[in-house]
Amino acid sequence: MTPSAIKQQLERLREEALRRRVEFAEVRYAASTHSALMLQDGRADRIGAGDRAGMGVRVLASGAWGFASTESLDEQDWLASLGDAIAMARVSAGHLAEPVTLAERPAIVDDVRTTFAKDPSQVPLEAKLAAVRGFEEASGCAACSHVANLMTVYNDAHQLEIICNTRGTLISSESVRTLLWHAITAQNGSVRQRATEVRAAQSGFELVEATPAADFSAKAAKRAVSLLSAPAAPAGTFPAIFHPSITGLLVHEALGHNTEADLVLAGQSILDGKLGTKVAADCINVVDDSGLPSSWGSYCYDSEGTPGGRRVIVEKGVLKGFLHSLETAGRMGAAPSGSARADGFSHRPIVRMSNTMILPGKASLEELIADIDLGILLRAGQWGYVWCEKGQYTCHAGEGVMIRNGQLAEQVRDVSVSGMVLETLANALGVSRDFEVQMPGNCGKDGQSMPVNGGGPYVKVREIVVGGQA
Amino acid sequence: MSETPRDDLLRTAEIACEAALKAGAEFADALVEHGRNLSVSVEKNAIKSTNSRRVSSVSVRAFVAGGTGWYSASTTSEAAARDAGRRAGELALVAEPDPDFVALVAPEPYPHVPALYDQSLASLSAAEIAAWITQSIESARGVASEALVSGEASTHWREAALVNSLGVRASQRTTHASVYAQVVIRRDGGVGSFYEWDSARKLGDLSPAGIGAAAATEALRYLASRPIKTATLPVIFGPLAARGLYLGLCGAASAEEIQRKRSFLAEKKGQPVASEHLTLVDDPLIGGGLASGSFDGDGYPHRRVTLVDRGVLQTYLHSNYTARKSGEANTGHATRVGIAPTNVSPVPGAKTAAQLIAEVEDGIYVALGQPSPDTASGQISALVDAGFRIQKGELTYPLEKTMVAGNAIEILQGIDAVSSDYREEPGLIMPTIRVRGMRVASGE
Repeated sequence: MTPSAIKQQLERLREEALRRRVEFAEVRYAASTHSALMLQDGRADRIGAGDRAGMGVRVLASGAWGFASTESLDEQDWLASLGDAIAMARVSAGHLAEPVTLAERPAIVDDVRTTFAKDPSQVPLEAKLAAVRGFEEASGCAACSHVANLMTVYNDAHQLEIICNTRGTLISSESVRTLLWHAITAQNGSVRQRATEVRAAQSGFELVEATPAADFSAKAAKRAVSLLSAPAAPAGTFPAIFHPSITGLLVHEALGHNTEADLVLAGQSILDGKLGTKVAADCINVVDDSGLPSSWGSYCYDSEGTPGGRRVIVEKGVLKGFLHSLETAGRMGAAPSGSARADGFSHRPIVRMSNTMILPGKASLEELIADIDLGILLRAGQWGYVWCEKGQYTCHAGEGVMIRNGQLAEQVRDVSVSGMVLETLANALGVSRDFEVQMPGNCGKDGQSMPVNGGGPYVKVREIVVGGQA
Repeated sequence: MSETPRDDLLRTAEIACEAALKAGAEFADALVEHGRNLSVSVEKNAIKSTNSRRVSSVSVRAFVAGGTGWYSASTTSEAAARDAGRRAGELALVAEPDPDFVALVAPEPYPHVPALYDQSLASLSAAEIAAWITQSIESARGVASEALVSGEASTHWREAALVNSLGVRASQRTTHASVYAQVVIRRDGGVGSFYEWDSARKLGDLSPAGIGAAAATEALRYLASRPIKTATLPVIFGPLAARGLYLGLCGAASAEEIQRKRSFLAEKKGQPVASEHLTLVDDPLIGGGLASGSFDGDGYPHRRVTLVDRGVLQTYLHSNYTARKSGEANTGHATRVGIAPTNVSPVPGAKTAAQLIAEVEDGIYVALGQPSPDTASGQISALVDAGFRIQKGELTYPLEKTMVAGNAIEILQGIDAVSSDYREEPGLIMPTIRVRGMRVASGE
């Protein structure tokens, strides 16, 4: 079906929802096509592609939510799904604390698409393969005899989301995303170390062409090899400096999830009741910006049709706002922030981050390090998670560098660190002018996976627990 | 409905395979699935949303000189299956040859695994499912009136048909239900939280009633958490945390990781990788087991496998591809995209979990956490999500900002006891495991 025909079918479903007197309905079509190739140990022996399309309908009836989705594009199946969603709402209505109230938003009719230079679907497979092979060769050269395994993955995806709701909104959003991922396992005797690098953006094939191997696969290779001879990180509490990639994990996991208003309303956020109060040191300024050009986590409109943009979360240490959907904004008397995102057609929109970052300061990295007698610089952020209600979080660094007498000293192996969100933010001692938002990844919440990005400056904290072995 | 899916799913899978062969593939297989999910999500003691999802998919793998092309689509129409097969075949033609690929699996009789499908569960309405989670809210608030419950109750049924070009025709119908409740309690300036869950394939195996109360009871124990001094201490992993430890070992035992030289268990087959207290069995044939089934993702018959016998690694986890590549027996652990264990359980030991704790003078108990090793290095560095200090044989106070670390094999070889009592879920037993000494970092 053409997008135009899909729109017409969505509008007919919207009319039927209105005829059935629901308080609000949102019918959303989502489709994606993707292609992938993997180069392992010199062979591109696994090449794949796929497509996915369907419709999800969310209704507000009797003050409660019901949702239904189908992978069928048949109009009769869509009507049946509308009936399912209304029936689901009736079930919800039987166990409701208070009727759902949605914030007001003007209707928007728009078609948007992300810009890109080279449509991946028009790039021959051979060209993709040649680029990926180049990355693998550069890694192999950098790691030399220490290579145990090389793996390079290329993915591109085209996504279309059409949102149609009973307030009159009808928005079509198209995006193209391209991703490169490289992993190297280096070996020396029985010691193995793995390092990864990822580059991902709302971009066409130009992302691949603009990625120098030296800053991607060869960088991972050098790190993996150097880690072979690095000692284990120490265990205990240390002053620490976070590389922008760790800052990205910290601001996303530790602070960002706690600013999602659905978690605040659920009583699961440590920031509940703290709006307008000091939650961090003066040097901490945090924004979530879905308008960052070409970034992995960017979008024009969220999955409810609210425009995205730059949301100030923390200003000079003071909590300024939460991330909102129409519902959370309605319940909290705030403006919708365009933060309701859905993972395809088969999930309802929930509050999510986009590109979340701590803003840069004026210090140099050397100035941040200078007065640390014994501490650790954490680099190569990998993953993290948070227990929002307690504010306890952990982040995993792919490597560390010990700080001794104000100087960077020996490298140490990968290690996890942990802390309590509000303690860590209050204990921030400074942020650098060096700044990077380069942690593209997919964030999981309630079974949904969404593209997000994060980063910031180097951040110095008074202390953090380092889960090392030494 | 019976336990056998409709023939039209098998026919759709055949159409996909035929299209792949017509496009030039030497071998092909196709999995076609469809089903329905119902879920009721809860937020702050009230229903947040009730959801119905119909799901369908076809995934095709095609092979030319060992090179693999794959295509997946979110529909089970014959036209889509034909298109997916053709595209997979075309991609296989441009994939580079893999000389290690021999052939797909040939037809073999499948074991009968009972109780994977329960019509009474598949027929449940959303209102009936909602009752499970609302019971959880009531039972949690019965324990602590200020309890805040979030969570979800869900059911799903699936029909799946797997066909390959060598004559494999496998099909299965399954059901699944789960209830999950996370309880947060704020009292006296402290925050206690815990989660509890139950899962089953048969309605009779599900006991949703006490989940909220159990989570609330635990949450109350974690109100006044604090850090300890960094030290090397005995660590006792409770049933849920211990599972992360040995499932991490299973991940590293994937033959794909071994053959690609990415695992710390390379060349460890037949070697001691844990203490003699640890024996791990993977049994996908347990009736009603959460990960049970008659066949794996290649269409190969499932079988019971002893992975670790008294500390010695007995086998790697194989798919058809890795088994043929290495000349070892296929253990039937293929998924459609890799290798994964099924129902993995340790063999229980001689003493109860309470006895294991009573024997520790100074240590920690990890109730929740993810102590999985890095597959390449074998290093573990993990947060204790929920745990207790052990002093003089008793759990004394809950922990915060506490982490455990070490080398996986050293930790597994440091296991000095597996409990005789255990948490049980369909197909799984989860005992408590004690490790003699681990590096424990904390913030005191």
